[in-house]
Amino acid sequence: MNALLDTLLNVMVFAFIGLLIWLYFKKEPADSTRDDLLRIRTEEKG
Amino acid sequence: MLCALALTVLVAGWGIFDTAGLAAFAARQVKIVLVSRGWFVMLTASVMLLVAIWLAVSPYGRIKLGLDDEKPEFSTASWLTMMFAAGMGVGLLFYAAAEPVTHYLFLSREMEPRRAAFLALTLTDFHWGLHAWAIYGITGLVIAYFGFRRETPQLISAPVQQVFGVRPWTRGVGWVVDLLSIYAIAIGLAGSVAMGVFQVQDGIAALFGFSPSGLALPLGVFAVLVLAYLFPLTVDLGRGMAVLSNTALVIAIALLVFSLMAGPTHFLMNTIVASIGDYAAKVIPNGFQTYAFFDEPVAEWFQSWTLNYMVWWLAWAPFVGVFIARISRGRTIREFLVGVLLAPTAFSILWFGVFGGLAFYKGAAAQLDPAVVSNNINQTTFLLLETLPFSRLTTAATIVAAFLFIVTSVVSAAYVLAMFSTGGDQTPPVRVKLTWGVILGLLGLAMILSDSVSAVREIIAMSAGPFVFIVLVLMVCLLKALKEEKPGRTR
Repeated sequence: MNALLDTLLNVMVFAFIGLLIWLYFKKEPADSTRDDLLRIRTEEKG
Repeated sequence: MLCALALTVLVAGWGIFDTAGLAAFAARQVKIVLVSRGWFVMLTASVMLLVAIWLAVSPYGRIKLGLDDEKPEFSTASWLTMMFAAGMGVGLLFYAAAEPVTHYLFLSREMEPRRAAFLALTLTDFHWGLHAWAIYGITGLVIAYFGFRRETPQLISAPVQQVFGVRPWTRGVGWVVDLLSIYAIAIGLAGSVAMGVFQVQDGIAALFGFSPSGLALPLGVFAVLVLAYLFPLTVDLGRGMAVLSNTALVIAIALLVFSLMAGPTHFLMNTIVASIGDYAAKVIPNGFQTYAFFDEPVAEWFQSWTLNYMVWWLAWAPFVGVFIARISRGRTIREFLVGVLLAPTAFSILWFGVFGGLAFYKGAAAQLDPAVVSNNINQTTFLLLETLPFSRLTTAATIVAAFLFIVTSVVSAAYVLAMFSTGGDQTPPVRVKLTWGVILGLLGLAMILSDSVSAVREIIAMSAGPFVFIVLVLMVCLLKALKEEKPGRTR
């Protein structure tokens, strides 16, 4: 297989693993999520 | 919804009008991705298993999937039966003897036949065991946890917005996740339809004593199948589908018990017990085995079987995950994971121990030619049943079970696809369900026209590739949400 393609495909995986680790440790604004979702669902129903 | 429809119809159309082109494209894409990212697929499956074990034994295991006074909707026996029928279905009938024998033929080139037979069984158990069910289990757990405890819609994308908030990027990611889930379910199910049709056609040929040739018989079987599953989509059968699914599983269990009793019972029991030990000893190391220091034929075998299976389970994960989540409300995380991981794995070891062991025994006695898997893999189960008494009856039972497994799978999949494409509506309109039923039929037809099981497997693997990333995002969502829970607390 093309070595460049192989490297690119794997670099994408490394970046993805890094993204997962960052997402896991990322601090989320307290309670904003549920409020956002409730607001959106209410809007969608309305 | 329209994008998902367009994507699946495009693949179906491509498959129908240029079957060889689609199969060749899928083979090329899958080869590139599996060679390059095989390690990542294996690592993902192993990490999911380790996380599932950790969640089951940790204090988080006491968290209930629902409110703390909720009781499970189904009895434990019924729950386990439905879960197993949804997760494995027709594949079990198809590969019962065919898979161990295929591995045996490959391994016996390099090692002594008895050792090759035993290793072939361990590898088959590995493919159908804890790793497969960890992929289903974690996906199902994420959907059940967020659906029943955080009251999100039953969509694969819902946990992303629940955990990271409603932002432009989470909306975008959510849209892509739902689109890819729909696509993976549709292709994965259509592949099973094709495999089921191949098996039913060879069963009918074995029953009436003729050699199937051409596409007339599989297309006839396919037409009957489409008629059989379109009707249930127009009415709300409720638990009727569970009854059909359980009937198929009862027939499969009856075949298992009959083969154990009518075959060389002590040899098969020895095989099963030895398989349990070997599987338990090697399950974790095998999960990290990527055959880095083996030659090209082994690498190709690894891509065609182990990696292909892991990707296949990923393709089915959104469908089976939604289904097992729906039937698991009121259970704790521990109950859920122990049930999902252990019961189906134990059954798989029993199943392949009996049918694989029987195939090796009959092969040694020159009653079954192992080369059947190279000539026509679809016939393996039926040729094996012919070596036992009442073979016409058992062949007919296998055909009925395969047919029921396919019908129930397609009906359930059309329901889940309709639910996803209507934003999580628990009672999607009949016309949406019918639309998906027809699309699943078209995709199934495209795969039947390929007239090749390996082409079907590669088309499935191509569609499920992106899901390896999605399940990991879902797992991070779950672990992040659990950090907010006080372990052991119920609501």
